Amino acid sequence: MTDPVLSVEGLSVDYVVGAGTFHALRDVSFEMMPGRVLGIVGETGCGKSTLAHAIPRLLPEPPAKVRSGRVVFQGVDLLEVPKWKIPLVRGTEIGMIFQEPINSLDPSYRIYQQVAEAVRVRRLRDAGRAPVFAKEVQPFDYSKGRTPKAGEVLSHPFLPSVPQPRSGGEGAPSPPVPPGMREEALEYLRLVRINDPETVLNLYPHELSGGMRQRIMIAMALSEKPSLLIADEPTSALDVTIQAQVLTLMKELLEEVRTSILFISHDLGVIAEIADDVGVMYAGHLVELGPVVDVFQRPRHPYTKALMRSIPTRYQDDGPLPTLAGSVPNLSRLPSGCSFAPRCPIARDECTVDPGPALATPLEFPRGRINAASCLYLRESEGMP
Amino acid sequence: MTDRPPLLKTLDLVKHFPVNRSLRDLVRGAPSRAVHAVDGVSISVEPGKTLGLIGESGSGKSTLGWLIARLFAPTRGQILFDGQEIGTLRGAALRAWHRNVQMVFQDPIGSLDSRMRVWQVVGEPIYAQEGTRGHALRERVAEILPTVGLPPECLYQYPHEFSGGGRQRISLARALSVNPKMIVLDEPTSALDVAVQAQILNRLVALQRERGNAYLLITHNVAAVRYVSHRVAVMYLGQIVEIGSVRDVLERPVHPYTKALLAAVPVADARRRRTRYRITGEIPTLLQPPPGCRFAARCPFVIDRCRTEEPLLREIPGMPDRKVSCHRAEEVADVAPDLLLSPEESPPAPEKAAPTGSAG
Repeated sequence: MTDPVLSVEGLSVDYVVGAGTFHALRDVSFEMMPGRVLGIVGETGCGKSTLAHAIPRLLPEPPAKVRSGRVVFQGVDLLEVPKWKIPLVRGTEIGMIFQEPINSLDPSYRIYQQVAEAVRVRRLRDAGRAPVFAKEVQPFDYSKGRTPKAGEVLSHPFLPSVPQPRSGGEGAPSPPVPPGMREEALEYLRLVRINDPETVLNLYPHELSGGMRQRIMIAMALSEKPSLLIADEPTSALDVTIQAQVLTLMKELLEEVRTSILFISHDLGVIAEIADDVGVMYAGHLVELGPVVDVFQRPRHPYTKALMRSIPTRYQDDGPLPTLAGSVPNLSRLPSGCSFAPRCPIARDECTVDPGPALATPLEFPRGRINAASCLYLRESEGMP
Repeated sequence: MTDRPPLLKTLDLVKHFPVNRSLRDLVRGAPSRAVHAVDGVSISVEPGKTLGLIGESGSGKSTLGWLIARLFAPTRGQILFDGQEIGTLRGAALRAWHRNVQMVFQDPIGSLDSRMRVWQVVGEPIYAQEGTRGHALRERVAEILPTVGLPPECLYQYPHEFSGGGRQRISLARALSVNPKMIVLDEPTSALDVAVQAQILNRLVALQRERGNAYLLITHNVAAVRYVSHRVAVMYLGQIVEIGSVRDVLERPVHPYTKALLAAVPVADARRRRTRYRITGEIPTLLQPPPGCRFAARCPFVIDRCRTEEPLLREIPGMPDRKVSCHRAEEVADVAPDLLLSPEESPPAPEKAAPTGSAG
């Protein structure tokens, strides 16, 4: 049995703001196996982006506050790791792709400089010249009360400084670059199927289209060879044809670069396309988790059923679209018991008191039907359309 | 097909946006350039029916919607509304005509004034057209709100107090307030979640049945077009490449671009997962449309003729009520999208999710 790359155990995150305390994540648990894609799907405000940001600890604290839980990545609880060490995890071990690539690329640097920075960081770490995130390397323990000697911290540079070669005017000699850096950057651009990568390397982000920018982001994330890639709505800002290209690319890259992907999307179609397993979130709760074919073909939780049914797939003369009554609950005033109970067609009195069984996290998905759902009346929900 | 005259008809409609020339170009005497946003579009919308307009971003579909709502004046061509030429309307005549066509915009935050209460937002078209104000206006608005599923109590609320779906309902109520003959819906559901989207789409269809408004639905969301539209037009680089009844076009697309666009839509069915036909490359710039067929650079069926001769929107024998602009329409009509890949481009397609035999 292989160890999971990432296991999230009982993670709860609140946002404490003036208007109240918003329970963005409540008791979320799942595991990710190497080389598999876990899709997380849910409506706006269900906490899926909070989850994506909580794993690499990118949440702004405050207002965010991790109430409880563990995020065990490669045997280390990331929530226990001192904050200064977290950047060692980001990038090299956990790669990230976000929705708007233009916001993730620095507008004042050329593509080459940005890709090369990622390549350079990884090279320094490979060569042992930069601190890496590993169990053996203990951070300096400030809590012991001993003041660090000069150089004790500095001997491990926090992040290696990256020389920024800026080309001057036309005809100026190109600045010296580390040997092979350009070739490696080119290689990653070719990996993400960018036409004419030599030209693209010298462009600025604003000169590229949305699909190209997202490919650059994927190239940068992969150049660090992460064991976990977190993709937060990576194709939602793209056109449907470009989205198909990017999804196909990601699927092909999965064969070449073995990495686990946590793929967050609101689009059920995209999740069906790329994910191996899928988790459905509602009001900060993971309500169903299972292999993608099972969850889509035979959803068990009433919310998943309603969500699947509301995908418009019919013509007007086939009758009205099935809808889900009511709206998503306010995360600061959640109903007691199951948060879906007020909208649930099979809810009973117990549902308003008992939040339902905890979601079991199967270690491995064998053939067959074991998608876990957190509902008291799973047997009754079988009969639901 | 009905014998009724179309409510709206455009004839060879053209909209070019001139691009400012740099000083260097001016001195050199370079010709001024223009973005060819809409380039020769002829469509018609029947009264009480919906025409869906789909295409990628940059295809000019929103510009066409704005032209039809006369928020832009056309560069060339005619827009006939109820037989009246409206492309040349100006001033007070245009303002009075605007009661016939209203718009719903994509961004429900940006298109509602955050400092106006619901009754002011929804009542503004009534005030502009009829001068109604005060208590009478609020009464009119209170009658409209239930038709879009909002309680009349929310008259005095502000738009920010509503969720995305609620805001889009306010937009819809504003468009309905003067009871227009036609509503241009510019991406009405793309900011909404799938469950809320279904509510809004249901409401749109119900309203059309009750009130008989015609819709022009501009969207990249094929699911919304399928449900709401009667006819559908596919746009690419400022031109219509295929038009026909919604069932025919979505189930039996003829133009290679339509096939590609429909094949690219992800289907929420994990069993049907496959490496789909994808068109390579991206939508070219509208600044200098290529000669010949505009899709030629990305088309897998391209022949030499496509690069030189521009195809016209023409009827296809054996397919009533369908027009396609493709030289090879007859040959490619029955090619399934999956077969479009040339052998060397065809990627290995490992079926990750094998279809289970009994599922159904």
